[in-house]
Amino acid sequence: MKINSNEAQALQAFNIQKKSSLGSRLTRNKAILLLLVPGIIWYLLFKYLPMLFAGVAFTDYGLKADVHFIGLENFQQLFSSPGFWGALRNTLLLSGYNLIFYFPLPIILALCMNELGHVYMKRIAQFIVYIPHFFSWVVVGSVFVLVLSPSDGVVNHIIQSLGGDPIYFMAAPEWFRKILVGSYVWRDVGYGTIIYIATIATIDVELYDAATVDGAGHWGKLWSITLPCLKGTIATVLLLTVARILKIFEQVLVMTNDNVLSVSEVLDTYAYTEGLLNSNIGYATAISLFTALVSTLLVIGCNVLSKRFLDESIL
Amino acid sequence: MYNKTIGRKTFEFLNGIFILLVSAVIVVPLLMIIVTSLSPDEVIAGKGFVLIPTAITFSNYAAILNSGYMPSFYNSIIVTVSATAFSMAMTLVMGYALAHKALPGRTAVIRFVIATMMLDAGIIPFYMVVRSMGMIDSYASLIIPSAISTYNLILMKNYIGSIPDSLLESARIDGCTELAILWKIVIPVSIPIIAAVTLFYTVAHWNTYYQVVMFINDSRKYTLQVLLRQLIFQSESAVSSVSAMNNFKMAVMIMTMLPVLILYPFIQKYFISGIMLGSIKG
Repeated sequence: MKINSNEAQALQAFNIQKKSSLGSRLTRNKAILLLLVPGIIWYLLFKYLPMLFAGVAFTDYGLKADVHFIGLENFQQLFSSPGFWGALRNTLLLSGYNLIFYFPLPIILALCMNELGHVYMKRIAQFIVYIPHFFSWVVVGSVFVLVLSPSDGVVNHIIQSLGGDPIYFMAAPEWFRKILVGSYVWRDVGYGTIIYIATIATIDVELYDAATVDGAGHWGKLWSITLPCLKGTIATVLLLTVARILKIFEQVLVMTNDNVLSVSEVLDTYAYTEGLLNSNIGYATAISLFTALVSTLLVIGCNVLSKRFLDESIL
Repeated sequence: MYNKTIGRKTFEFLNGIFILLVSAVIVVPLLMIIVTSLSPDEVIAGKGFVLIPTAITFSNYAAILNSGYMPSFYNSIIVTVSATAFSMAMTLVMGYALAHKALPGRTAVIRFVIATMMLDAGIIPFYMVVRSMGMIDSYASLIIPSAISTYNLILMKNYIGSIPDSLLESARIDGCTELAILWKIVIPVSIPIIAAVTLFYTVAHWNTYYQVVMFINDSRKYTLQVLLRQLIFQSESAVSSVSAMNNFKMAVMIMTMLPVLILYPFIQKYFISGIMLGSIKG
């Protein structure tokens, strides 16, 4: 959409002139405020009301017929429960691996794709890489189950034809974490790549031309133009990744099974099991509340770091 | 591109191989699933998968038509269509209202909305709210609580905000109501963003899984995602207790991917412009 800038400026000036008292602005905008009501109610009900329900964490809701306020008892139970520490450990390990293996890959892949000589190859590769991002975790999990199946999966066929014994990957605790990280990378590496490619596409070509005149080579341009231009995007993606660190849920809920619980149980699946399957809702809410608090602290911390080192606030 | 050094040529060759490998890792499993789902039982017997088709049959898909997977396929369609329609109505109306720069309290409402992207009470309190509204076991639980995606709302707001005010102002002077302006002026000029956001919502609602297992207990109301998970991950399911062959399983997978596969070229078209619009702060 092209906006006539003169017209826009004139209108802006006109609007500022019109900006009189709050009262008259309210009456003039009454109809529009009315349109805002359903949305605000929705946000209050489904985003803010759950925060109030977090108060259930201080009660014994779910276990007995009548509800009692029990103070910090749920949290005491939480911090002394091996189930909780196991889930916390698994969550942090999985997020850590995702951060190490998933986070740098799209940056590398975007830079490599950008260096591709053939335009068609570039287009085809871009078309292919982020298909899996739009598949549900059930579909992605199913792809992995079928590919890794001990009896008729491709991977085990290859292992057997090389003389090895078939491995039951999905039921092996020593493999399961690798599979979770692998499926996360498989699903989302292309998505991250496309975000960086879209940012690279906005870099002014003149910058590269000027660098060429100054005698910069491919690596010089990559180091002093492309990467600095990606800084803001990298920071934003990192923040969003950190914000989701403790919220690995659907992927694990879909792919887990009883054989691998010791390595797959994460905070949200632990809350899910305790709250919905064992009906211990007060305790489960305490898990949820702990997760939410730590997540928020992580996000704020990341934003502070980004402000200090990149002069850029992401929030 | 002239004067390429040998080092550069080697790099470009290796780089091409690398991208080829990455693309293969993503696309080969999908091809394998498509080919296997189209293969007759005797071809896949013994190994369970095929990559190069030797015989083509649609019998696996025909078997789905008469199976318990069809009702859940229809359930998925009903939920996706109604949830997307509701999502779009909520997002359009709120996005339009928030695009008004002269609106008092606009910044506060935008902060109130964006804060929810970072603050999240978690699944159990969310479940409690939905349950206390009596939505358990009804499709309302899959349609209303996940209606608005804040990201999509911001995309919508930014796009509508870029429509020249003069266009809307003249309609107001002509005495149009705000809803009429939204319907007659804003929607026709916002087709690209409406298409993009509709696609995003459609995919998200179709892919919904944990809300279904959390809110729906009646197995007749299960969506295809839940039944696919039972088929692949559990030996017993709401539909059958007999373990199926891989070609049938993969045909059900293709059914579950169908809307994404059909819509993907369009998603592709709008996705990057969506990202770029989203990067505009405001």
